[in-house]
Amino acid sequence: MDFYFGLLQIFGVHTLLGLSAYVVLLTGQVSMAQAGFYAIGAYAAGACTAMFGMHILPAVLIAGLLTAVVACVVGFPALRVKGLMLVVATLAFGEMVRLFFFNLTWQVERGGEMVGPNGAEGFRSIRYFPENGWEIWQVTGFIWIIVAVIMVALWWVDRTRAGAVLRAVGHDETAAQSIGLNLTAVKVGAMTAGGFIAGIGGGIYAHTVTHIEHGVFGVLLATFAIAYPILGGLGSIFGTLIAVLFIQGFLIEGLRFMGDWRSLLFGALIVLAMNLRPTGLLGEHAPRLSQLFGRKTNDHDKSLELKEAE
Amino acid sequence: MLTLENLSKHFGGVRAVDDVSLTISEGEIFGLIGPNGSGKSTIINLITGLYVPTAGKVTLDGWDLTAMAQHERTSVGVARTFQNIRLFGNLSVAQNLWVAQNGHEQRRAHFLSRWFKAGGEHAPDVEELLRFSQLHSKRDVQASALSFGEMRRLEMARALASNPRVLLLDEPAAGASLEDGQLLAERIRAVRDRGVTVLLIEHMMELVMGITDRIAVLNFGRKIAEGSPTEVQANEDVRAAYLGSSHKKEKLIHA
Amino acid sequence: MADASGANEATAKMDYFFIIDFVQSLVDGLLFGTTYALIGIGFTLIFGVMRKLNLAYGAAALAGTYIGLAAFLAFDAPPPVVFLASALGSGLIGLVVYYCCFRFTPTSYPMASLLASVGMLLFIDEVVIHLSHGMPFPYPSVFSDATLELGDIWIRGDLLFVFGMCVVAMAVLFWLLYRTPLGLATRAVSQQPRAAQLCGIDSTRVNALTFVIAGILGGVAGAMTAAAVGVLSPIIAMGLTVKGLIVVVIGGLGSIPGAIIGGLLVGAAENVFLLLRGVTERDIYVMLLLFLFLTLRPGGLFGSTAGRD
Repeated sequence: MDFYFGLLQIFGVHTLLGLSAYVVLLTGQVSMAQAGFYAIGAYAAGACTAMFGMHILPAVLIAGLLTAVVACVVGFPALRVKGLMLVVATLAFGEMVRLFFFNLTWQVERGGEMVGPNGAEGFRSIRYFPENGWEIWQVTGFIWIIVAVIMVALWWVDRTRAGAVLRAVGHDETAAQSIGLNLTAVKVGAMTAGGFIAGIGGGIYAHTVTHIEHGVFGVLLATFAIAYPILGGLGSIFGTLIAVLFIQGFLIEGLRFMGDWRSLLFGALIVLAMNLRPTGLLGEHAPRLSQLFGRKTNDHDKSLELKEAE
Repeated sequence: MLTLENLSKHFGGVRAVDDVSLTISEGEIFGLIGPNGSGKSTIINLITGLYVPTAGKVTLDGWDLTAMAQHERTSVGVARTFQNIRLFGNLSVAQNLWVAQNGHEQRRAHFLSRWFKAGGEHAPDVEELLRFSQLHSKRDVQASALSFGEMRRLEMARALASNPRVLLLDEPAAGASLEDGQLLAERIRAVRDRGVTVLLIEHMMELVMGITDRIAVLNFGRKIAEGSPTEVQANEDVRAAYLGSSHKKEKLIHA
Repeated sequence: MADASGANEATAKMDYFFIIDFVQSLVDGLLFGTTYALIGIGFTLIFGVMRKLNLAYGAAALAGTYIGLAAFLAFDAPPPVVFLASALGSGLIGLVVYYCCFRFTPTSYPMASLLASVGMLLFIDEVVIHLSHGMPFPYPSVFSDATLELGDIWIRGDLLFVFGMCVVAMAVLFWLLYRTPLGLATRAVSQQPRAAQLCGIDSTRVNALTFVIAGILGGVAGAMTAAAVGVLSPIIAMGLTVKGLIVVVIGGLGSIPGAIIGGLLVGAAENVFLLLRGVTERDIYVMLLLFLFLTLRPGGLFGSTAGRD
């Protein structure tokens, strides 16, 4: 049973990671910095609980806010460059964050023990959950409540003008500017929101594994972050969720007997998926609920139905 | 109302727009014509801020547009369409109008209700524009799935969604037939009747001569004539620019 | 008085040694920087013809280098053969990358080829790790026991060789680009893809060949990196990728001279930071350098394509 709860926890934190990239991707920006943001959240939340004895909820919130501030500050110079150069800039930023934590040693004494980040050793004993007697189902529930809150919030944003504006900027920046949208504000806003979500995700992640070290937050994790929404499709947040379930559930856990070959399979899968279905599983356009769960209103679907009827 | 003062734009050694001055009055349909590459589109890009002028400035009712960021010009009342239509193909028709509500009045709405309220694609002004552009039946269709004519209509409606004071149309008849041109002429007049001043860049002469109040002619980035359609048609330089290159060369040599 | 002058003398000596160390680092860095320049040129060439970023490039270069290593281990091939096998192997993998990630993904959706190339990066990396069991292998280097002494500055023979090989590779590339019909076609496609197509240039063929040429350059860079260190291990792939991208940003995406200058600059800066701040902090400062460039000169040193995508 514990195994399945553990799996659910992994789904939860990876969904947050994917959603953080999803928000940024909606504006057409490919950010490889999400793993770096995740790392900042993880170390910050870990420091709050393990070093300063805070409650988990404010700790995760602080992690999210701090990461959002960093994302906002990074957003301004990084968004001066577009498209492919942004990929490079964010990739470099992510590596910079990783190397920063590789070099960071900052420990305090708590209960006769030194706790805190210790360079290459990483940050051990982020044991808030076991120390406070949380059961594994409680931890899992806690994670999924946060995931649900963020998913509902994003789902709501997608129905508002803000969501449409993000997609508009992602589709055509020149046109978006011509109708009076402030590109910098929209993009930095998306980056900040993405940073907030990644920070929360990282903060929770740190507490589920109790030991974090810089190597985890490398390019592989950044790739996972953008792969979830792109493979799932930018049509809606559900694409990201489905991609997380598929990759983490089937590819990583389901094929455990394949051992290390799974990473190889992951790479091959991405290549294959991008050739066969480049806009992702659920496609690029936002599907309406009526299309997903009910009668089809789209002309295209109608013509398909007609063809089938003939 | 809209004034171009000694406006110039040079790309390296190429003088795409060279010392052009124009004044467009309120409520006018003003035509801007000229052979290919004469700098018409560059002028629109200078007014909307896609390009930064090499010299000169553009003002709207005394507001210096050239000192503003691109998105700020929308709230002062500038809107445009593109020669090669640029819609948000991933959004529905109604959403295309919804995201474009960035006019001065619309910006004054409360931050939360402006950005984070759902269902704004059913707002009265969106509905009105859908009817105006005869796209009401297509309101939930993806913009990328529209026909060419519908796309043109939607793009013009999107430009109107910010309640602009002046609308810049960049070759709205490109790719349209003569009959479409007639419908377009009616549409442009209807836009003017809404109280919007129109600056029309166009190749289709029937359209320009038929509906504009005044016309300016550009050639090699310079203004060579300005006046009513009949005046412009009679102008010797304009004929030279459009018809005879040999005639024009002679003139240039003598000049 | 005597004590004071003795102390002064000591500090003067310290200063002198420091300057020697500094210059030594700078020279070593500049020599080794040519490998970064090659990787940067590879990125730039591919960007030039396709306006796309091939993130699998560093991994392909690494895999090619392993092919050379295989020749070394299996047949005990002499170093020149090993280097040649590395270059050709990497060129071949470049072609595979083109067909897997770029040929059939839609141009209108740039995220597709980008993510596909990331997937390829992971795939190649994993294949290499599996086949080599993740262990570092000795790689043949040449002239490693020779040094050129210029006063107190010692120039390592193997680094000098690396420098020479990279310069030769660049010279061949320039000859290819500016003196052959293939080069003309490549330059035509990179300036005006549509027009080039109308002139009857088969852009698929040009793209594929560009991937091969870039791959060969990557293979040379990979082989020279391994030769300079004397050891080949899978972790250099990430270094090649990230450093190559930094070089391209600094030099300006699409500019070959920019990539060369950028490569030398990164090589030198990296070694100087190594001297001043130590090995673990070195790369942080290199990344900071990149960020500085992005904020102050987003188009790079030679780039006119700033913000173009």
